Amino acid sequence: MPLSDDDFGVEEEKAGQNLAVLAEALYLINLLLLPGLAFALLFGLWLKYKDSAPPLARQHLKQTTFVSLIGGFLIFTLSGLILTLGGLAWEWTWVILILYFTCIHSTLVLFGMYALIKAMNGQTWRFPLIGPAIDNPQA
Amino acid sequence: MQFKSQAVAKPYFIAAIGLFVGQILFGLILGLQYVLGDFLFPAIPFNVARMVHTNLLIVWLLFGFMGGAYFMIPEESETELFSPKLALAMFWIFLVAGALTIVGYLTVPYATLAAMTGNNLIETMGREFLEQPLPTKLGIVVVALAFLFNLTMTMLKGKKTAIAMVLMIGLWGLAVFFLFSFYNPVNVVLDKFFWWWTVHLWVEGVWELILGSFLAFVLIKTTGVDREVIEKWLYVIVTLTLISGIIGTGHHYFWIGTPEYWQWWGSIFSALEPIPFFGMTVFAFNMVNRRRREHPNKAAVLWALGTGVMSFLGAGVWGFLHTLAPVNYYTHGTQITAAHGHMAFYGAYAMVNLMMISYAMPILRGRAANSNKSQVLEMWSFWLMTIAMVFITLFLTAAGILQVWLQRVSDTPLPFMVAQEKIQLFYWMREWAGVAFLIGLIVYITSFFVGGEEEKAK
Repeated sequence: MPLSDDDFGVEEEKAGQNLAVLAEALYLINLLLLPGLAFALLFGLWLKYKDSAPPLARQHLKQTTFVSLIGGFLIFTLSGLILTLGGLAWEWTWVILILYFTCIHSTLVLFGMYALIKAMNGQTWRFPLIGPAIDNPQA
Repeated sequence: MQFKSQAVAKPYFIAAIGLFVGQILFGLILGLQYVLGDFLFPAIPFNVARMVHTNLLIVWLLFGFMGGAYFMIPEESETELFSPKLALAMFWIFLVAGALTIVGYLTVPYATLAAMTGNNLIETMGREFLEQPLPTKLGIVVVALAFLFNLTMTMLKGKKTAIAMVLMIGLWGLAVFFLFSFYNPVNVVLDKFFWWWTVHLWVEGVWELILGSFLAFVLIKTTGVDREVIEKWLYVIVTLTLISGIIGTGHHYFWIGTPEYWQWWGSIFSALEPIPFFGMTVFAFNMVNRRRREHPNKAAVLWALGTGVMSFLGAGVWGFLHTLAPVNYYTHGTQITAAHGHMAFYGAYAMVNLMMISYAMPILRGRAANSNKSQVLEMWSFWLMTIAMVFITLFLTAAGILQVWLQRVSDTPLPFMVAQEKIQLFYWMREWAGVAFLIGLIVYITSFFVGGEEEKAK
């Protein structure tokens, strides 16, 4: 059977797949385009659906919400610490700060891209190191 | 291999790898010259080593693109190449012209080379990346036209797929925009303005189409995902590339004497340029995740995934890092640009060529995939080169930030050469990362000569 015109290889094969994709998209938008605002939407979605959504969506909502919080903590507190300890007028503060920010931010984005692909394919995925445990790995 | 004439790709790939080795050796020489200023002086001055390093990069990538296209178009068009003899003749012309040019750079003072090669007829030399003497530039045009004629005729007599069309648009664009290398107005602003029509519209325009089509081709072959799905992704990537990349040229027009509105246009549109690379990464990983079969050539799949990630980081993230006009005001032409250039070229274009070579070479040698032993070695080379490039980029970024501070932000700015001395630590670290890259390249070449049980061609 020919594929439909809007088929990008993303079909709602599993319940909650669209919500899972939305959660991952908001996670990435929070990092790349609308920091804060996208997280507020994501947090709202998590609050609303954390108990009622299908397992797939629930996992992605949980992963993205918690990783956004931990990621935000990693970005802002450690950047703040580097700034506080080094001071604005020391060149090495900026060397360390910009490298740290770029590396941690890019890593979070890359993980988010991979998680988005997993959501698009109806699979769960735990963010390495900082992602909360998967409740039911079979979901 | 499906069509006998695809075999013409093999010498192109071998030449590409040979020139790649040359590029890396000159990169190491250059890296040492940053810290030991007199190294190999006067035999190979810094400006000559830099010119050889960048020109070899361009030429080996072009050899790779040509080889990849000669391999891909017959298979996509489902017909033999229009003229394999023409393809082989052009290979030798291009190789000899390229080799003579490099010999010219290394043996004759640049001004003498210009005088010897008729630069007074049409003054095209002396501009970064377009340093080639007039006969070489004319040779490139002849080779490109013959190459495009050969492929276009092949396509006209065969099937016309979307992936092949995107590749051909990219290749025709490459040839058309190279013509601006002959336009060298006396007005320096105009000179720079149109110089970018070759340099920028190649790497942030038409080359991305070549990259996208190569990636799509290899992903179809290795994952078994429906062509229609892959083609739709490709359309989106091509659209995003052209929308962001064409006006994104404006990020080169901030400080060259063009009107101020370019600071807005350049900033906004080049801020969008990471999007197609983002799309490519999601595309590659998504297709591999949805694969319908396990292709025996795992190394090619690794290169495909790697090019997605590394081009996003190098071209996307490191490009965005210094593309907004208020940031670029401080970072313009510093080691931050070098950091971006290294990772973007490796991630986007070196890796996509290595991916195509990785996929095509075993087939050209009569097997579906190399032996497991050979692939393990190739994957080691992937990680060695890629991690080394990440470190090269990080060290150059650190050097660049320090340079910006010392030279441009500080209340007591230092002269250029004094600032250079202060960032030598990072140049040394970059050099050692470069040595690791060379080791990776040696491992890569070794992988071609390792035996073992091979996967038979089907």
